Amino acid sequence: MSDAGRRWALVAVALLVLIGAAAVGIYAGLYNIAADVPHTQPVYWLLETMRDRSIAARAREVVVPADLNDPTRISKGAGQYADMCSGCHLAPGMKRTEISQGLYPRAPELRRKTTLTPAEQFWVVKHGIKMTGMPAWGVTHDDDLLWDVVAFVRKLPELTKEQYETLVENAPKHEELMQKMEMGGEH
Amino acid sequence: MRNLRLKNTSLRLLVLAGFAGLPLTFALGHEGHHAECNDTTINAVKADIQAMGEGEAKTAATKEVEAAQQLMAKNDVEGCKSHIHSAMEATEK
Repeated sequence: MSDAGRRWALVAVALLVLIGAAAVGIYAGLYNIAADVPHTQPVYWLLETMRDRSIAARAREVVVPADLNDPTRISKGAGQYADMCSGCHLAPGMKRTEISQGLYPRAPELRRKTTLTPAEQFWVVKHGIKMTGMPAWGVTHDDDLLWDVVAFVRKLPELTKEQYETLVENAPKHEELMQKMEMGGEH
Repeated sequence: MRNLRLKNTSLRLLVLAGFAGLPLTFALGHEGHHAECNDTTINAVKADIQAMGEGEAKTAATKEVEAAQQLMAKNDVEGCKSHIHSAMEATEK
């Protein structure tokens, strides 16, 4: 066998040993998946980067509606946000809930500014994120309702506790919007 | 006269009830920063820190939680609690 051939054989054996060690580790249950023990920093970085890149790549195709600043859209999104999202993502003036303290990775607090674009936010709301507790709301909601939520989430960091509460109080109820959606009408 | 006495008694009861409720109010006020020195609390703070954006607050919280861990290893519970408390405060910035 030539030198180059021997080198390739050595690389192949090393790879097989690595894959074998990883398989043994997985089957032995070495990695702790408990939600109350955080990932090590390298694992967290790897998963976070994979998540961010995956979202960015898929959100490129999303067409953002021009009326995201429309007060009616924002108002409709407020009621849905209070019902579907605030339990995990919280809201201005809201104390951390039990679920928000137990989720891992932590659900981002959306009253803080985000680095996601509207298209990326829509993609996340519609498709959810595996193994994070973020559901795919697109399974039960149409795109128009989900854009309402995005419109509201874009506005959220500017709101005080009082403004948030007023918006939610005056927002159309989530059940009404769902009924209208199911009847196929404009909502 | 009888009405006045009744009014005074009601007022006293109201003031008493108010004072009796004070400790509960304070306890609820501190609920958000219940800092215990153990692995569960330290891990919870570390999870909060991981979710923070890069910046001064994240650096401060990381330093505080590392200090808390070192003090926990030295069995300095009060020092550990104090650093956990500071770390929790930094995560809320």
